[in-house]
Amino acid sequence: MGDVNQSRRTFLKSLAIIAGASMVVGLLRGLEVLVPPSVGLTSFPTLQLVDENGNPIKASDVPVNGQKMAMFNYPLSNEPNYLLNLGNDSNQPVEIPATTVTIPATGKTYEFPGGVGPNKSIVAYSAICEHLGCTYPELTFYPPGVKALTFNGPMDKVIHCSCHGSTYDPYRGAAVVTGPTTKPLPTVQLKWDPSTDYLYAVTMIGPTIYGHTDDLSGGSPISGNSTSVAMLSNPALG
Amino acid sequence: MGMAKRSIGDWLADVFHLRDIPFMGVPSYMFSIEYWLGGVASAALIWQALTGLLMLLYYQPSDAYNSTMAIIHSIPFGAILSSSHLYGAYVMILAVYIHGLHVYFKGAYKRPRQFQWVLGVLMFTMVMITSFVGYSMTGDVLGVDAVDVGKGILAGLHLSALTPIFFGNGTDLDLFTRLLGWHVILAALIALLFALHFYLAEQNGFMPDLKEAKYKAPALLDKSDQRIKPWWPRNFVFMLGIIAMTWGVILTIPSILAIPQVLDKIPILFSPFPGPSPTSPQASLVPAYPPWFFLFMYKMADMPFPLAVDVSMGGLIPVVVLLIVPFVDRSEDLHPLDRPFLTALFITGLTWLVELSIWGAGQPGIPVKPLWLLLVIVPPFVISFAGIYALHFVWRGVKQRIINKAVSNSKPLPLNNKLLTAMGALVTAMAVIIMLLSFTLNPVTQAPFIGLSWGSLMLLFAADVFIYFNYELR
Ligand code: HEM
Ligand code: FES
Repeated sequence: MGDVNQSRRTFLKSLAIIAGASMVVGLLRGLEVLVPPSVGLTSFPTLQLVDENGNPIKASDVPVNGQKMAMFNYPLSNEPNYLLNLGNDSNQPVEIPATTVTIPATGKTYEFPGGVGPNKSIVAYSAICEHLGCTYPELTFYPPGVKALTFNGPMDKVIHCSCHGSTYDPYRGAAVVTGPTTKPLPTVQLKWDPSTDYLYAVTMIGPTIYGHTDDLSGGSPISGNSTSVAMLSNPALG
Repeated sequence: MGMAKRSIGDWLADVFHLRDIPFMGVPSYMFSIEYWLGGVASAALIWQALTGLLMLLYYQPSDAYNSTMAIIHSIPFGAILSSSHLYGAYVMILAVYIHGLHVYFKGAYKRPRQFQWVLGVLMFTMVMITSFVGYSMTGDVLGVDAVDVGKGILAGLHLSALTPIFFGNGTDLDLFTRLLGWHVILAALIALLFALHFYLAEQNGFMPDLKEAKYKAPALLDKSDQRIKPWWPRNFVFMLGIIAMTWGVILTIPSILAIPQVLDKIPILFSPFPGPSPTSPQASLVPAYPPWFFLFMYKMADMPFPLAVDVSMGGLIPVVVLLIVPFVDRSEDLHPLDRPFLTALFITGLTWLVELSIWGAGQPGIPVKPLWLLLVIVPPFVISFAGIYALHFVWRGVKQRIINKAVSNSKPLPLNNKLLTAMGALVTAMAVIIMLLSFTLNPVTQAPFIGLSWGSLMLLFAADVFIYFNYELR
């Protein structure tokens, strides 16, 4: 029988424990395998707005006052936006002026560039509510005469979210009208080509699109040079 | 009670009630790899479950090939994940073969362990099928060929009605969704059978040393044997060593093969990564190899017989024979030379398996002429039967003398204490250094080296455990 002595035994045991601990520590970083590689873009693409058949959308085709909700993805394929041709009470397009928009959550401001198109009446905003992410059909535009029940009483000509009642003013850069949201809807900067009447999405302005760490990551890019606009019925019109 | 110094082990044992775990303890002579071959297979099974479940987070049946390649090229540590899942399957298959052969030669399939054997054969076939399915899931040219051959075999057996059940309705999406489903279902069934197999092993006890059992079934460990010490901590620690060793091998081999300079020289049968996509130009250069553990079947299909005969002789009949072995051979003889017919049959079968596999790798898809067939199958048959029967008669002459010789409790020469300690210190120092170095490596671009580091860390830990154990057993 060998000579088992307690201190040698403890020493050998400690060696095994240290080797085991090295193994565990070395392997721990393997948990990074759980992190999926991020997808997205490195810069904002310029995408032409086209219809579902791939034909270019003309500024004069965009329905006035949300008779249909025109929706397109930009800059990623899981970032929907509303394309609005805003009008007055008699459904005549009106010019949407540039303005300064405040983000109540941070107190910071940014410049909203105003509408584009022949009447400077066309704007586009993220279709994801900045409160907790509701989207079409809960978040929609209420045309003149169609009142949403907001915390400030019945209102029309607003974008209102029926999930928890956030209200935005599309005529003023989708600024916050009522909470619970503390951020305006991000703006899609549009470009209008007067010679062809075509529309392009160019970049995003304002807060980060809801649910993304930045506008360019967290979804798959849109392939090609265009993004298609779907015409959905407006739930506010019943 | 005085506050004596308690070790971490004692603390663990208290907190988790490890001393009450109802697993059996064993005599010291059983702390040797031959008694733990099933443990190696089990460790591989656990590795497969862990890595497989992680891949489930990324594998997309709708885009099988590309998502598999994305696991390898863009997920951090993904190349290690995928290649060690593949080699985990290989190690498991090898371990199961060796475990099964060891059981056969010790006669451990006899009373009272017949059903452990039956469960083992069932698990063996299921592991082969599960691996085949997993291999096809990558959607590379080999996998797609394997699926086509699978469908062809079903058709050849007039079982086309089963094709949609296994391979779906013909669309790629249904194919890969089903393969994934079957892969996980089969794996879960294996785990279930494994639980039963393990339970029976615990209840029946490890197969003791044959000499102690006087080469007669039923061979049982006497539970009151003085040499048996409790499961905790000896069996637990040894088990950790076995698991670390198995996982170390599973990580180390494919990681070495994946090192770019090595990868170029690896034959496709042993590549740690999937082959080219079936639509790529390289695909036509790849022989329609099955995974290596089915090469024997591949060669069977080149035989001058109808497909149904090939499949019966290569698969069904051997499995059925294996299943009924414990019910056909009910004698009490444990020594393989006391069972000459079966032993010769096993050796013949094993030789055929190896011959056909090598032949399949060397001449894939080349039809076999009847004369070649005879040249390949007759000699092993004649040699092993003649040889085993000859040995059988020799053994019968000396058996009684050997049995009557007192059981010598021979132990491996204990290593010199100083040497043992020095080895342990060296191993631990290497582990610490490798662990530190591994943090300088990039998980996407240098994955093979990280895999190699991790494999080494596991092997080194296993080495330390066995060194400590060697000392502890004295
Ligand atoms: C619960 C247990 C298991 C799960 C969840 C699982 C899951 C998976 C997944 C998702 C894949 C596809 C990844 C890829 O395409 O590389 C895969 C591949 C594979 N699986 Fe499993 N698996 C399990 C157990 C097993 C077992 C027990 C074996 C056989 C011993 C096995 C053998 C294979 C093989 C050979 C591949 C192909 C791997 C490659 O080429 O990289 N799997 N498994
Ligand atoms: S999500 Fe729109 S108000 Fe809460």
